[in-house]
Amino acid sequence: MHDLYNFVTGPLAWAAFIVFIAGSLYRLINMLYLVNKKEKFIYTYMSFKYSFRSIFHWITPFATVNWQRHPVLTIVTFAFHICLIITPVFLLSHAILWDESWNISLWALPDGVADIMTLVVVGSCIFFLVRRLVLPEVQYVTSASDYVILAIVAAPFITGFIAYNQWINYQLFMILHIISGEIMLVAIPFTRLSHMLFSPFTRAYMGSEFGGVRNAKDW
Amino acid sequence: MAEPAKSEEKIISDIGLDVGISKLTDDRIEKEINSVIKNETGARLKTYVETCIHCGLCSEACHYYLSHDNDPRFSPVGKVKQTMWEMLRKKGKVSPDFIKKAAIIAHTECNLCKRCAQYCPFGIDIAYIITVVRRIIHRLGCTPQYIQDTAHSHSVTMNQMWVKGDEWPDTLQWQEEEAQAEIPTLRIPLEKEGADIMYSVIAPEPKFQAQLIYQAAVIMDVACVNWTMPATMGWDNSDMAMFTGDNEIMGRIKRAHYETASRLKVKRIVMGECGHAFRSVYDMGNRWLGWQMPPIPIVHAIDFYYEILKEGRIKIKKKYETPVTLHDPCNVVRGGGLHEKARYVVNAICENLIEMHPNREHNYCCCAGGGVINCGPPYKMTRINGNRVKAEQLFAVKARGAKTLIAPCHNCHSGLEDINHHYGIGQEIKFIGDILYEVMEKPEVEEGEKE
Amino acid sequence: MKKAAVFIFAIVVVSAFLFVSAYSQEEMTFVDNSVFTKPERTPSIFRHDEHNEKAGIEECNECHHVYEDGKLLEDESSEDQRCSDCHELKSSGNTPALIKAYHTNCKGCHLKEKKGPIMCGECHLK
Repeated sequence: MHDLYNFVTGPLAWAAFIVFIAGSLYRLINMLYLVNKKEKFIYTYMSFKYSFRSIFHWITPFATVNWQRHPVLTIVTFAFHICLIITPVFLLSHAILWDESWNISLWALPDGVADIMTLVVVGSCIFFLVRRLVLPEVQYVTSASDYVILAIVAAPFITGFIAYNQWINYQLFMILHIISGEIMLVAIPFTRLSHMLFSPFTRAYMGSEFGGVRNAKDW
Repeated sequence: MAEPAKSEEKIISDIGLDVGISKLTDDRIEKEINSVIKNETGARLKTYVETCIHCGLCSEACHYYLSHDNDPRFSPVGKVKQTMWEMLRKKGKVSPDFIKKAAIIAHTECNLCKRCAQYCPFGIDIAYIITVVRRIIHRLGCTPQYIQDTAHSHSVTMNQMWVKGDEWPDTLQWQEEEAQAEIPTLRIPLEKEGADIMYSVIAPEPKFQAQLIYQAAVIMDVACVNWTMPATMGWDNSDMAMFTGDNEIMGRIKRAHYETASRLKVKRIVMGECGHAFRSVYDMGNRWLGWQMPPIPIVHAIDFYYEILKEGRIKIKKKYETPVTLHDPCNVVRGGGLHEKARYVVNAICENLIEMHPNREHNYCCCAGGGVINCGPPYKMTRINGNRVKAEQLFAVKARGAKTLIAPCHNCHSGLEDINHHYGIGQEIKFIGDILYEVMEKPEVEEGEKE
Repeated sequence: MKKAAVFIFAIVVVSAFLFVSAYSQEEMTFVDNSVFTKPERTPSIFRHDEHNEKAGIEECNECHHVYEDGKLLEDESSEDQRCSDCHELKSSGNTPALIKAYHTNCKGCHLKEKKGPIMCGECHLK
């Protein structure tokens, strides 16, 4: 167990973080390289004011017509994304590890709150899964990869929750939790989870076009 | 209401498409698709396709989707799935049949209205992706016949309707004479160098709606505008090449247009009530030619009417009394932000404006734009069935009293006319100019002078 | 009805079993966590004598260390003090905070020796 633990929290964790960070940078740099090479005109239309105007509307629940049209989805998706990012960063156990490894002392969530947030993430994943299976317009454009990325996202939270509660085979689930977290990190730059990286840019560009050229709202 | 859109598809015969498809080989398809994707697209297409999370939230933006009882094949992302995703996934190795299907989807089941861009949380420009598909179809020579014909016309005559060199000034002089019966001093000044404004129209106006030129001339005259129209090529601001993906022709005709204005040393181009032409002159053509914004300020008719009404250069005799509703054309509203000015103008000339819902940037497209109506009669029912939701929207506003429908755009006008007839809505459709001409104060002509 | 009865019976038996097995660990000792206000986790299990016997620890100061100016004083030991006498709830200067001190002391050694619990839930039992 020690060897396995040392491996998944040592070299594997390093590898996962390096792939995540370097991969993300690579994807972003590659995108900017492509813009430079072929669509340099994009820069002439980019505007900070309109980019942020657009981003601000879309990251605010119910601030856009489409968010208003889908109240349940809006609540779920905002809760999901907030919990998805906040929970792993500020989880007490993770904060301890941040501190032990890097001497970074972060504020930590109370475990009870983190527990609820984890359930929110898992519940949201189930919601998204059901949505994919049930709604024809979503089903129609769903491919196997959509289920895979959903599973990749849900896995660290499910395993983490089981491990934290120590229901069955604690050590196994801890190892699974760590590995699934690492899989998710690695998957971010190289799957459509990369919307985490790209969506601010696509949003900003559309916001700039609508604000600067079209004089219209894009929300 | 009229019969719902049936999903059984009629086999549409379109010679441009059919002959084009019959000449395709797998090799050629693969070569052209990959050439367009490799050489003509970049970060946008790649990022859009890879960022899309397949959430389906764009669906309800699309009038085709709504009109076909939420059939997912008609959702914006559904159309991308059936076209671009497949092309990318198979790296261009798709069949001629696939290309035919893609051509029909891209050309007749999407108006490039960009409403979906307002509904996608990531701001993915789906209309742009469909434009790339159209570009591929163009390169493969499979563009639907009718719109291809207009592109040919652009190429040969620099106007959309095969209007020949002499027919153009002839038409203008004819309309000048007609208008002089009403205002004897009226002129349509041709080739007046140094005028403030060059007035440009789309080719269907001289071809079969010449009275619109007459009306515009009266408005210009009464408002004492220092204006001119070119007697040469470059007078047409329309652009179907933009919609067929024939960017090279688009560039040629836009260059002719801007250069004509610049030859006449005018300060601004004022254009008639047309949406797609505005898109071409204000947004697309200039970019192809390397201008961030148009080289000469472009003023759409709505904006121009706003200006002359606001400045009091035109007085209103008696406002139009029939209750009206206003259709916001995608290209000038979602594409140019003229919705509030349009309302100012309509309120200035009409007693009672009843809003349809949704309106402004969120209005439903007329289903004629984006070159769809220009694909001609074979696809008329595609447009009508694809926009049942527009009929519902119009019925609702009619129930609230709006008898006249104002559509300040040629394509919208024709598309709404078809919807109006087919669904039996029974509204009268007018341009803003029609009403403005009707209600404005014109110089009194002595009884004796008038014949 | 019968099924429900069996089910309830099963639950009762299992809970009773869990209850008894929890009580059977009554000699188990825990690290005293009274210093912490509202601790998030259960106190860590630690059976002092059994641990030292198993680990072969002879000297008290292997764990009960004394540091002065950041240097370990080899010959001194601090078993007569409480950990919290030096390690406060927040770290100060070179002295790590109490939580971190515990973790480093236990887990650090376990990792080095490749023996003993290293993951949160192995000490902080639910």
